[in-house]
Amino acid sequence: MNSTNSNIYLPYLTEIVDIRQETSDIKTVRLKFKDAAAGKSFDYKPGQFVELSVFGEGEAPFCISNSPTRKSGIECSIKRMGKVTQAIHELDIGDTVGIRGPYGNGFSVEGLKNKNILFVAGGIGLAPLRSLINYCLDNRDKFKTITIVNGARTSKDLVYKDEYEIWKKAKDTHLHLTVDCQEENWACMVGVVPRILEQLTPTCKDSVAIVCGPPVMIRFTIPVLLKIGFCPEEIITTLEMKMKCGLGKCGRCNIGHVYICKDGPVFTNKQLDELKYEF
Amino acid sequence: MENIISKKDLVDRIEGLLKDFEIIGPRELPNKGIFYQPIVNAGDLYLGDSFTVEPVKKYFLSPSEYLFKENLEQGAKPVEELPLPGAGRIIIGVRPCEARGLVLLDKIFDAEYKDDFYTSNRKRSVIVGLSCLMPDKTCFCTSMGGSPAENRGMDAILFSAGDGFIVEIITDKGKDIFGALGSDIGKEEKKAWELDKEKRKGALEKRITAPESLDGTFESVYWQKASLACLSCGICTYLCPVCHCFDLVDEERKKLKCYDGCAFVDFTLHASGENPRPTKKERYRQRVFHKFEYFKKNFGENLCVGCGRCIRHCPVKIDIADIVDKAPLTQ
Repeated sequence: MNSTNSNIYLPYLTEIVDIRQETSDIKTVRLKFKDAAAGKSFDYKPGQFVELSVFGEGEAPFCISNSPTRKSGIECSIKRMGKVTQAIHELDIGDTVGIRGPYGNGFSVEGLKNKNILFVAGGIGLAPLRSLINYCLDNRDKFKTITIVNGARTSKDLVYKDEYEIWKKAKDTHLHLTVDCQEENWACMVGVVPRILEQLTPTCKDSVAIVCGPPVMIRFTIPVLLKIGFCPEEIITTLEMKMKCGLGKCGRCNIGHVYICKDGPVFTNKQLDELKYEF
Repeated sequence: MENIISKKDLVDRIEGLLKDFEIIGPRELPNKGIFYQPIVNAGDLYLGDSFTVEPVKKYFLSPSEYLFKENLEQGAKPVEELPLPGAGRIIIGVRPCEARGLVLLDKIFDAEYKDDFYTSNRKRSVIVGLSCLMPDKTCFCTSMGGSPAENRGMDAILFSAGDGFIVEIITDKGKDIFGALGSDIGKEEKKAWELDKEKRKGALEKRITAPESLDGTFESVYWQKASLACLSCGICTYLCPVCHCFDLVDEERKKLKCYDGCAFVDFTLHASGENPRPTKKERYRQRVFHKFEYFKKNFGENLCVGCGRCIRHCPVKIDIADIVDKAPLTQ
């Protein structure tokens, strides 16, 4: 929470210090706080998000895609979609943006300790998971086997490609990449994520599955995980909503009586069942 | 503590207070209706039986509130905040339903993550209520746990009595304004006042039963039928004393916090084109459920005070009270 400011809508000013083009329409920006003290006190958990504002254009929520263990600033991976994301894509290194946050519950890292962790990501859905993957790798002894299943429509749509080798080489860590359709020079798996999961049948014993991707992927992935033997409380996902204030006040991101921005965005499948949420 | 005051005493007192305070109260605007407005002459104050069109909400949550201004290019002060309002003010003529609405809004804006604009507006305001003698046929406060004579959320409340008023002082702030004005209420007068309060409560004809939970009706086609006539104009949300959904908008260098509402199609529309509330059914159901299910689950009360504004001003005469009353709980 923005504790030094009493105005809850006031953002911190940050400077864009790095921009990486992940795909044709996804960029990862790295932000540095203009006020170093504010940067130091900005403590977040994997899975939390910020409201990023381009002054004069608007504000939109983005998950923090790098791990707090890296202490390299805040990174957000942004797909060009609407007005704000378009404006962000037009910015250069050195430009100023505002951020408010961190907001949301984030992943319960304590609850994952001494478990096998299965990460299931589709497309830009890898962004919030990347924060947690790198958090786990930086605290490698606290977690058992890490399995990452990452899919995209085509190989051109895969994000964080420069980290795959590091993930593959990490201790007791497996990375499975898949694309929807066969391509030339593609040596990894082919097929949509739920199908690949069926083929891999990762162990559900002492395991937690963390899923993020487009709603359609999640809709078909959850039944596969249940079939493999994961309990609904061992399937964790993070939801996307139009979150304007991030504080549970503006009234648009609720599912039932639960506000995604404040009570989420991370939920177990059991909680979503109770909320009668459908992907 | 209750005092009996004449109308002239009241007007004179307000005239005197105008020197030190901003005073806001109902005024009758020709051909428009009654609106809360800053009062310049105490005589302009309307303390009759008719109701204001807009709720008093706008003096706490502005329809368009300027939060800060960004000055990146000037350098000196990159983000300039607007000073919070601090000067004391008196809002007079607030109906019991609306005062209770402020107590409900406190649960959102004066809770975890305090909204300083709201809380400073609350702190600087003295609320002087006005009990209702002649409820409108759309009023249903008694069905929402309120009453035309209740004093929740007020510092003092006026009851019309003969040519003057009985003023009930509730807080020290109320005492500062009215203390020692008029004469103490006598035993007989107090008895008559108690009877009068009961009479005021009984004057409401519209009565509904809001169910404990609407949960079982969520999937019902009932919501499609209930929302069929809705024009998505949003007047119900703007005129509601407790609807508080907002948008944060950049206007050139300014950040504004503006009223928004669940009736609008773009309220929940994602940039991707996905919309979790794609039709009027989902949007109207959200309005009803927010008020009569979700807020109740989170805060123990309905987010509706029964003021009847959304019914009175709906261009297609949608009656939320009736809709809640008839919700098919057995489905």
